[in-house]
Amino acid sequence: MKSLSKKRILCAIGLLFFFPGRLLSQGLDPAIIANPPADSWPSYHGDYSGRRHSPLTQITPQNVGSIGLAWAFQTGQEATIKSSPLLVDGVLYFTVPDNVWAVDARTGHQIWHYTYKPNAGMHLGHRGVAMYKQWLYFSTPDAHLISLEAKNGKVRWDVVVGDIKKGYWTTMAPLVVRDHVILGVGGDLDNIGAYVRSIDPETGKMQWQWNTTPAAGTPNSTTGGTIWLTGTYDPDLNMLYTGTGNPTPVLNGKTRPGDNLYTCTIAALNPDTGKLIWAFQPSPHDTHDWDAIEVPVMVDSDFHGEPRKLLMQASRNGYFFVLDRTNGKSLLTAPFGPVNWTLGIDKEGRPIPNPDKEPAPDGRLIAPDEGGMTNFRSPSFDPKNGLFIVSARESYSLYFAKPADGAYGWAGADYGLWGKGIIKAIDYQTGRIRWSHDIGDTASAGVLTTDSGVTFTGDSSGNVLALDSSDGKTLWYAGTGGQIASSPITYELDHRQYVLTGSGGVLFAWSLPEGNE
Amino acid sequence: MAGIGACSLGTTLMISALLLVGVSPASAQAAKPAPRPAPVRGKSLFARDCAFCHGRDAAGGESGPDLTRSRLVARDVRGDKIQAVVHDGRIEKGMPPFPRLTLPQVNDVIAFIRDQTRNLNSKPGGRRGVDVTDLQTGNSEQGKAYFNGPGKCSSCHSPTGDLAGIATQREGLELEMQMLYPQNTKAKLTVITTSGETFTGTLTYKDEFHIAMTDSEGWYRSWPIRAVEYKIDSRSDAHIEQFEKYTDNDIHNLMAYLQTLR
Repeated sequence: MKSLSKKRILCAIGLLFFFPGRLLSQGLDPAIIANPPADSWPSYHGDYSGRRHSPLTQITPQNVGSIGLAWAFQTGQEATIKSSPLLVDGVLYFTVPDNVWAVDARTGHQIWHYTYKPNAGMHLGHRGVAMYKQWLYFSTPDAHLISLEAKNGKVRWDVVVGDIKKGYWTTMAPLVVRDHVILGVGGDLDNIGAYVRSIDPETGKMQWQWNTTPAAGTPNSTTGGTIWLTGTYDPDLNMLYTGTGNPTPVLNGKTRPGDNLYTCTIAALNPDTGKLIWAFQPSPHDTHDWDAIEVPVMVDSDFHGEPRKLLMQASRNGYFFVLDRTNGKSLLTAPFGPVNWTLGIDKEGRPIPNPDKEPAPDGRLIAPDEGGMTNFRSPSFDPKNGLFIVSARESYSLYFAKPADGAYGWAGADYGLWGKGIIKAIDYQTGRIRWSHDIGDTASAGVLTTDSGVTFTGDSSGNVLALDSSDGKTLWYAGTGGQIASSPITYELDHRQYVLTGSGGVLFAWSLPEGNE
Repeated sequence: MAGIGACSLGTTLMISALLLVGVSPASAQAAKPAPRPAPVRGKSLFARDCAFCHGRDAAGGESGPDLTRSRLVARDVRGDKIQAVVHDGRIEKGMPPFPRLTLPQVNDVIAFIRDQTRNLNSKPGGRRGVDVTDLQTGNSEQGKAYFNGPGKCSSCHSPTGDLAGIATQREGLELEMQMLYPQNTKAKLTVITTSGETFTGTLTYKDEFHIAMTDSEGWYRSWPIRAVEYKIDSRSDAHIEQFEKYTDNDIHNLMAYLQTLR
């Protein structure tokens, strides 16, 4: 009896002192997203900077040749993995449309699998979940945001963020900034407005919404500007950086004269209010579907001898931009492959579109094509080599538009002629390409760099590649048998570094052989 | 400690279970809907799997062609042509496979596309896409001069040789795209192995690490790329070099000239 009561007392003490501690230790304190420990990958980009650069050094240029498969996880789904897994407390969380998995990061063993209801939303792809405390946030093809319990995948709440009947859909991995879950809508939307929204992580209620364009139907105005990739965040400046998508109608710019703000824009927002702080437009008056949604990468560094808070984007329109992220002023604009659609660069650092290269009834030869010089796949910034490494694709295409095509949706037609995928390492001080690595006809894998000097990416034949970050030479490869359409992540658990790459519906974990770490 | 851990874990699970009951949204099951006609079912499937590339109205979109003007769709009978394309994809053209779409589902999608074709044809003002008449803005004399001059086309091609009668074989956009970059041309591959054996055939695969051919007897052969010497004879490379040199007028003029080769 005595011992029993002692146990009860211990249990009570435990409940008083350890239970709250346990609750806090499980799950994700949003404060760590800014400086995540090596055994975590708590947000889409790994941290707020968007650099997709890891301080891990166990896998090196010297030993990467001996890495092998630690485990593989089969989703059993037709959909290609396009998400970046999150890693929190040894558990990976990743997605394809309508599906979320929790998987043991050490073994690839499934913990739970959540399936959303069948729906008619666009099932193009899905970038992954966000996490806040014990909860995950999952966007759906029919534009809902669902909060799941991280431990078991049970639905906590389900809110609507866009009307599927109007054409809204979502694919984005939300970004958590303190007590804001930030999510945009689209992909391509036809002639409707787009927005990014902040949602209360506890209740699912909207906190604010920033509309990228005036309301649909405003004369001489544009629609579009969707926000479909996770942005970045500077906690010191309290600025949220997001790209925005192309204007609509897409190929016909006649009904939307002017620059079409804030489409094809890099925007700095206050994450607490959604108010615009500054905006820079990589593609004024776009008529080629070149979203400027690509990752706005934050780097603190000297630039031309002056310490700067930089923001860099390799943009779909073929230009690499370096901005001062305190005010959005341009520091460098340089093409990172063949482009033929501009008359030059204006004094604000924006490319000046050539009106003769707008789509026309008899066709215009345009570089790059609508997929752009880069796209959804993440770039990486390697601070040691001073390189912005991007999965690029050089291409040419024909663009057509005629009055009969109207002013709704695509409003024209375009046809790719030729393209070539190349990993390009851009010297961010000059915009010059320091090294290039051919990857075949297409490009879909993102880039990860590590402090030891290894660049992980993939080629168009489904080979996962490890390159030397200093010169782009191949150090290791493995055929994966599917399209690599996600960006690699890395983490260290039990003193073992893992690199994760998706391919088709399979997630692969690579590491040094056990005992050789 | 283990006991306490178990104790708190159990409590947490229980609380979670209670919370679940309390806050899970009651997703009301809709009454069983009446059977819908094929184009309506097809529209939902199309929106889910096809609309991003081919446009919500099926008249073309990001990377996918206008299906309402597709000859393959027009000629299809109960999925006999489209089913295979949907099932296997057209990887070389960037179309992914959709192996889980059943034949009845594919037929529903075709029914939707045909519905859309009727809708769009009934609209005044013409249609999307590129017509042969759209591509008649060039000057054939100037095109001929470009062919024999700065275009350097005549160094590989001849109006009385390989291009004789080309305008009777292809027309419109198909001719123009083929002119700018020949699709589906087969590069010739020669491989010399370390033992000195020579193989020739058609290049069928190449990445950074392996190269493969279909040999003259139709057999597939592959090698590690670093273990052999090889030569690729690709006649389309000159077209890539020309891209940055063309003006749009050059293209339209060249197109006008090629259309005289009947």
